[in-house]
Amino acid sequence: MDEQLELLQGTLDMLILKAVSLSPLHGYGILLRIQQISKDRLEIQQGSLYPALYRLEHQGWIASEWGESENKRKAKYYRLTAAGKRRLQEEAEKWSRMANVIAGILRTKPGEV
Amino acid sequence: MDAELRSHMAAYAEDLVRNGLPEREAMRRARMEFGGLERVKEECRESRGISFIETLRQDIRLGLRMLRKSSGFTAVAVLTLALGIGANTAIFSYVNAWLIHPLPYAHAEDLMVALSHNAREGWTEQTFTNADFLEYQKQASSFSQLAAWTSWYFNLTGDGRPDRVTGGLVSWNFFDALGAQPMLGRSFLPQDSRPGSSNVAILSQGLWETRFGGDPRIVGRKITLQDETYTVVGVMRSDFQFPLMGAANIWTPLAFSDTQSADRTTSWLPVFGRLKTGVTREQASAEMTTIASRLAKLYPQTNTNLTTVLSSMAYEVGKEEGSQELMICFWAVGLVLLIASANVANLMLARGTGRAREFAVRGALGASHVRLIRQLLTESLLLFVAGGAAGTLLAFWAVQAIEASIPARIRGYMVNYGRVSLDTTTLVYVATISMICGIAFGLAPAFEASQIDVNSALKSTSGRSTSGGRSACLRCVFVIGEIALASVVVISTGLLVKSFVRMVDGYLGFEPRGVVAAQLLIPPLRYGSDTQVRNFYEQVVQRVGAIPGVSSASVSEYIPFAESSQAVIVHVAEQPAMRAGEERTADYTAVGPAYFSTMQIPLLRGRALDAEDGPASPKVVVINEALMREFFANQNPIGRRLEIGHEATLCTIVGVVHDVKQFYLTDEPHPQVYVSASQFPSAYMSLVVRTGASQAGIATAIRRAVWSVDGRQPLSTVETMGTMIAERNTPNRFLMQLMTFFGAAALLLGAIGIYGLMVHMVTQRTHEIGIRLALGAEPRGVMRLMLGQGLNLTTRGLTMGVGASFLATRWMATSLYGVSARDPLTFAGVSFLLAVVALAACYIPARRATRVDPMVALRYE
Repeated sequence: MDEQLELLQGTLDMLILKAVSLSPLHGYGILLRIQQISKDRLEIQQGSLYPALYRLEHQGWIASEWGESENKRKAKYYRLTAAGKRRLQEEAEKWSRMANVIAGILRTKPGEV
Repeated sequence: MDAELRSHMAAYAEDLVRNGLPEREAMRRARMEFGGLERVKEECRESRGISFIETLRQDIRLGLRMLRKSSGFTAVAVLTLALGIGANTAIFSYVNAWLIHPLPYAHAEDLMVALSHNAREGWTEQTFTNADFLEYQKQASSFSQLAAWTSWYFNLTGDGRPDRVTGGLVSWNFFDALGAQPMLGRSFLPQDSRPGSSNVAILSQGLWETRFGGDPRIVGRKITLQDETYTVVGVMRSDFQFPLMGAANIWTPLAFSDTQSADRTTSWLPVFGRLKTGVTREQASAEMTTIASRLAKLYPQTNTNLTTVLSSMAYEVGKEEGSQELMICFWAVGLVLLIASANVANLMLARGTGRAREFAVRGALGASHVRLIRQLLTESLLLFVAGGAAGTLLAFWAVQAIEASIPARIRGYMVNYGRVSLDTTTLVYVATISMICGIAFGLAPAFEASQIDVNSALKSTSGRSTSGGRSACLRCVFVIGEIALASVVVISTGLLVKSFVRMVDGYLGFEPRGVVAAQLLIPPLRYGSDTQVRNFYEQVVQRVGAIPGVSSASVSEYIPFAESSQAVIVHVAEQPAMRAGEERTADYTAVGPAYFSTMQIPLLRGRALDAEDGPASPKVVVINEALMREFFANQNPIGRRLEIGHEATLCTIVGVVHDVKQFYLTDEPHPQVYVSASQFPSAYMSLVVRTGASQAGIATAIRRAVWSVDGRQPLSTVETMGTMIAERNTPNRFLMQLMTFFGAAALLLGAIGIYGLMVHMVTQRTHEIGIRLALGAEPRGVMRLMLGQGLNLTTRGLTMGVGASFLATRWMATSLYGVSARDPLTFAGVSFLLAVVALAACYIPARRATRVDPMVALRYE
């Protein structure tokens, strides 16, 4: 398996929004989905998930409601709001722009400066 | 939240189990990987942005618990604050009643007082002539009502004892202009001001209840005033006040005969008006000025150079003497509050070092700096709010006590008397200063306490902070500040006390001890001719003089320290005539023969008036030094003649007497003329009697003597000059008493502050002191060391304080009499006093330092 990458700061929010955009999930489900999509290359600390979820909910990007999980337990399901969708798009664009810039810098050959 | 997190953990554990881990192992790993459940919950809460109210509620609950635990500290702090805030609130309620909301009428901001200003000579007076007033009433369109008034004294006879009642002669629309409704009957109507139908009166509720027993048929009842029959048409509620007039119990309408309506020479009526809605003061003032110039052109004899300006009534009322003194009290009590708050801050700082371990533990558990500071700030606010609440109660009682101690005669002049209470404005004030002080003085201790070094605090066994260095420094700053502020307050007090003593001890120009006085007003109906008036008073003086115990008696139309005086135009004969508006005036009174000897006013030149100066003899006058100075440039005036009054009556000067203080102990002498009562008889006279007997004993005898001449003649109460003078002094005496109280409070609080700090310092340095003692230092040396520290602080505080006082006392210079605002003796004396008090406060802790047992100290950490 490839090395597990450490999650860059500030990107957790974006990943959660993406995970939830595919379909509503509860906390543990979001964790699993991120791991799944990243093909297990990204590991998220369990303890930092929930504060992020609460923050995102407070800011209005996601909304929650209680429901029943697969194993018949009570769980809170989170889904993306309209504002959250817009936010996800913005963040994604920002991320790719940032990636391009950094990649450009890193590609600079000694003679080009 | 709990459920959600737990179900997550359970789900994770299940997955682990599915992957082959034993169940218990799975749970353990799930929990471990999750991190502390509580921690996560706390983080969730914070990221969710828990509402401000909830944290506040938590802080308050915790704060209350902590305060209850250290109940001694809480009690002392709350008590100190209660006194400081309470005093502030009490004084503020007076500021509110006198300066902010002085007028108890609807839309009081529309009430304007008219002032007559002589542009050429630069003086402004508050009165107008009859004709001018009527003219303004007719022409001025900016006002819905323009009214005039004057204080008056009424003889009330019939239905009991003859009584002299203070009241007012007012224009018919007086009450309407103020917006005051009578509680019974009606206000005056325009027809009441027609001579012939003007014998109507309105009573005050107090007079109605005391003299007429609250007669339910009072409206329409006939009463006897000035020996004439009047009909009562209305009763005013007892809380009606018109502070410009003073206390009044009865009002009758001004009624002018035709001649009186045309009088343009006697300026005696103050005038005020209510602006029409929408009209500004500037517009109305401009209109009045226009009318004034019109009058000046029409009547150049009397109205040249006169113009009329408007001033808001609230401002005029608030401007009365007393407002500067009130502001002095206000600032002084504010400083006292600062000192008290600094003391409480010091207490909090001391407590903070004792709680180091508590904060360290909380810090370790994850409390942020901000959270700790917020917690401590909340505790501080709780203290201050509690102090504020207790202080409000104290203020309530204080105001009651102050109102009760104001002498009855002055009450009518005190704005809003009986209405000084804790209204909304005052309550807002209390809340505001409690909050502001709570935050301001709670910040420093809160910051201090939250900077605890977690490691060392947890390790130290005593639970106390050993590194009290920074907080001790802060406490020193507070104490120095306290001393500085205390010295400002005590210096101000010292100056005022000295000024009061100078005032009271000053020579008045006559000897008040042993003199009693009473006022009489004989009705023109029964004493129509001058001879009758003259005879009546001569007989009264004779009879009173014959009373055993009386050494001499006389009469005078106006006496010093009474409620009224009169000024007349005086002109030196044979000098070029003055133009209208430029005349000089002098205070005037007509006196009986033995007046100067009864009052013991020294005669400086010539002779006094005597029985020879009767109606048939040439008219004479005695003047005072001030008149001699101003009118004759100190050259011998005996034999010169003066033209007195509007009729320019010629009188020859026969004597010069010493200056006499007329109204206030701080008066500069005015020119004064004394004419003979035989030559200028007056129906209104004051009887002055010099006697060795007590006031109570002689009063009955005097009354009997007067009634033996005329049984129907009422007199006012017989009072000693001493009482009259003391009542005049009441504001000054009050100020001095209040300031002494504040000065003492400031001194006490400052001493407590230093004491607390010294105790703390000794405790801090116990270790060091133990070493010194063990190494052979003398106990006295240790004491000197500690006292030296105290002295150091005191000196710094005093220097700042004296410097500040130097600048600050300039503002109270106008309230000081005979004392400069920078009086070196006072400054030096107060500094000395403060130094002594500070040293005394340091003494006990310093002595305790010498008792330290070196062995114990060395083990003390």
